[in-house]
Amino acid sequence: MNEITRRETTTPETADRERRSETLLPAVDIHEGDNAVEIVADMPGVTPDTLCIEVDNGVLSLEGEVSLAMPEGLSPLYAEVRAQRYARRFTLSREIDSEAISARIDNGVVHLTLPRKDSHRRRRIEVQAA
Amino acid sequence: MFGDLKGLDPTRAQGLEWFQQLLDEMFPGSGAADIRSVPHGSFPLINVGRTDDAVRVYVFAPGLGTSDLEVSIQDSVLTVSGRRQAPDDEATQTRFRQERFHGDFSRAVALPEGLDIDRAEARFHHGVCEIVLPKSEELKPRRIEVQAS
Repeated sequence: MNEITRRETTTPETADRERRSETLLPAVDIHEGDNAVEIVADMPGVTPDTLCIEVDNGVLSLEGEVSLAMPEGLSPLYAEVRAQRYARRFTLSREIDSEAISARIDNGVVHLTLPRKDSHRRRRIEVQAA
Repeated sequence: MFGDLKGLDPTRAQGLEWFQQLLDEMFPGSGAADIRSVPHGSFPLINVGRTDDAVRVYVFAPGLGTSDLEVSIQDSVLTVSGRRQAPDDEATQTRFRQERFHGDFSRAVALPEGLDIDRAEARFHHGVCEIVLPKSEELKPRRIEVQAS
């Protein structure tokens, strides 16, 4: 009968650390327009409050926590999503104006707009008639 | 929550999802190793959980709205189908990455018997569709009184 009883060996601390290390890699689309680079990432279950976007030393990090209101005592039957955090990092080119990055999240889809610095924008050069 | 789900899969190395994804990108179409596993990149991903009085299905469908997702149940098989629009291409010069799914999809999961389909509810929260399927009365846990002899 011993095998049937539930073992409670993991302490909350190790469980917490394990949960931290378990991350999902969100799928992204990256497009480039004339004046900005656009990143679109799928992060279902992430709310504006649990989404964290940081730029540090030319690296953009996109992290989010799945926050779903699940009832107490929910036991899993089947699962394909097996972690609660998304994380992905991008190295930014020097052309990007990191001060002007903007983001929004809409139905679990994150849209990031990374504008180019003014000096790197495409500009038209007038051709003078000779 | 679903944090303890990794216990379901003893062969999975922890923290190596990125490597698995890399391998899947390099060698697509490698056969499924587990009878319950799905090919990587399936859309949408589905979690199923159970409480004492209901079965809850979580469909991770980012960017979809109520009108884009069709949920139906027949013979204890739940089918979710729909279509996710391709991203609009205006003002795009170069495309560096295209990992997100777009197009038509349809996925089915088998549910336990004895659910009360008529009282089922589905709701969207932040790109996750939660479907609550209450258990019928005979399936709910019941306490059995122990009689003194």
